Amino acid sequence: MAQHSNSEHHAKTLPADLSAPAFVDTWRTRALIIGCIFLALAIILGFLSGDHWSHFLRAWLHGYMICFGFCCGGMALLMVQYLSGGKWGLIIRRPLEAMTRTLPLVFLYFLPVGIFGMTFGRLYIWSKYADWATALKEHLITIDQAHAIHFKHAILNPVGFWCTSLVVFTIIGTYVFFLNKLSLKRDADPEPNFRYWQVKFENISGFGVLLYAIMLFISVIYWVMSLDPNWYSTVYGFQFLVGEAYGVLALSILTLIALSKADPIKSTFRVTEQHDMGKLCFAFVMLNIYLAFGAFLIIWSGNSPEEIPWYLDRIRGGWGVIATLDFVFHWLLPFTLLLSANLKRIKSRLAVVCCIMIFARYWDMFWLIEPNFKDAARNLHFSIGILEYATLPVAMISFWMAYYFTQLKKRPLIAVNDPHLPQILEPEHAHA
Amino acid sequence: MPVREGTYGLLAEFDSPSQLVRAADGAYQAGYRRMDCYTPYPVEEAAAAIGFHKNTVSLVCLIGGLLGLATMFGLETWISVWAFPLNIAGRPYFSWVAFAVPAYEWTILYAGLSAAFGMLFLNGLPQLYHPLFNAPNFRSGATTDKFFLCLESTDPKFDLTETRGFLDRYTPVSVVEVEY
Repeated sequence: MAQHSNSEHHAKTLPADLSAPAFVDTWRTRALIIGCIFLALAIILGFLSGDHWSHFLRAWLHGYMICFGFCCGGMALLMVQYLSGGKWGLIIRRPLEAMTRTLPLVFLYFLPVGIFGMTFGRLYIWSKYADWATALKEHLITIDQAHAIHFKHAILNPVGFWCTSLVVFTIIGTYVFFLNKLSLKRDADPEPNFRYWQVKFENISGFGVLLYAIMLFISVIYWVMSLDPNWYSTVYGFQFLVGEAYGVLALSILTLIALSKADPIKSTFRVTEQHDMGKLCFAFVMLNIYLAFGAFLIIWSGNSPEEIPWYLDRIRGGWGVIATLDFVFHWLLPFTLLLSANLKRIKSRLAVVCCIMIFARYWDMFWLIEPNFKDAARNLHFSIGILEYATLPVAMISFWMAYYFTQLKKRPLIAVNDPHLPQILEPEHAHA
Repeated sequence: MPVREGTYGLLAEFDSPSQLVRAADGAYQAGYRRMDCYTPYPVEEAAAAIGFHKNTVSLVCLIGGLLGLATMFGLETWISVWAFPLNIAGRPYFSWVAFAVPAYEWTILYAGLSAAFGMLFLNGLPQLYHPLFNAPNFRSGATTDKFFLCLESTDPKFDLTETRGFLDRYTPVSVVEVEY
């Protein structure tokens, strides 16, 4: 113990080689293999299900929203850490940048949603039955739906969908480009210029966070909320925003824990910062349930026929089981586990909580998407098609992970030229 | 209670937290257990060095929180289902959704109160007399810029001359013998 504590009293030196360790390549290979297997399974299921690839497309939307969350939520958290400062932000920065650089793949994932889901009307009934009067006459939609499609036509129309989506991707892409470019430039700056860089990133991020929130709110309204054109909720975008941070934080901690087996993360990822990130996870677990339960409580109290069916679709007919498990995975398990201070300081246990949190996002997205469709609302039943949700998103996330690992390898894992750098090399509690 | 007399312990004064931590660490290694560190601000390493890892405040807080939850949820259920059932727009008497918010508030309230009062109780506060305040350098330095380690006489290893010699090895500013 004497030796152990002596070594803790001395500051460490930054490893000479800051690039990602070689085993990241192994991760990528594994991710690709898993992706291929699950994609093959998803395609086989698509042929077997006989629902004209309907569930395949729904599962595609599911996988797309999860990957979009990782990529763009990563960008949001990247900007938040520039604004908040803190040592945790320095250690988490490069993984977050790697997530943002996956945007091209996420855009590719979006295209089938836009083309098949919207333009061919396979997902969104407002585009399939844009001619609501005829559809109503043929009893394809209810009178409420016809009214909603008619009334919301100003927003829910193909031009609006495509323009909004493309503008959102352009703006996010611009931000991703500049955030990544400037970060490398900062590394290469021969002078420290701490103040200059800090102010520069703060200025970009301050407006960026606000702009991103608006972009996300608009796009989730189009991509997910409009699956049910009758329903609306003003807190919907905010729930996605918090949910993204929830998933991204869990993924970042998992990445850092896995990378900490070797340098450079091994000698820079201290228990102090790990504990801080665990606490931040706890905060997001609380904020998430606050929004989700708050929205539910308000709609439950209001008991209005325009709002309540959305929840009834997701509770009745067996969906209550899914909703309850969603609550368990999303809040009960992470909350009770993260209450413990010790757990947040032990890597293997914190990693388990992070896995639960990512799984919770997956589960929640299923609960959000599937009951929008007529065959599934208030009727949770087994079909071959529903298995798509267990295969296609896994494949999409695996391919996304492979791309993420590729991006992770492209840059040094620690951003230098930051006043926090000497601090994370100090022994734990050296501030005391 | 009889008045205790004699030596309470030996108080060593240090200028920096790292010196204190080194001395505390050394004392723990040497087998001393009844000792305490006194610093003007929290020094977690000093707490770790004297073998102080966990306390029961978190357990008290958890039990308090659960009691608050059970109390309020039970109260709401009792009022709405048995004591004074009201039909509010046809909603069920047992409306757990609406009960959740006050129950949550009481969880926080009870948890906070039990953490605060549990901490005071377990600290032995309020305490009107402590022998360490007999040391003049402790009075003037412990809340500003000095770091103290006190090895208490109740420790079986404690011996006035030997312990003083032990503490001197860590080059303290001073070592003072404190009376009860």
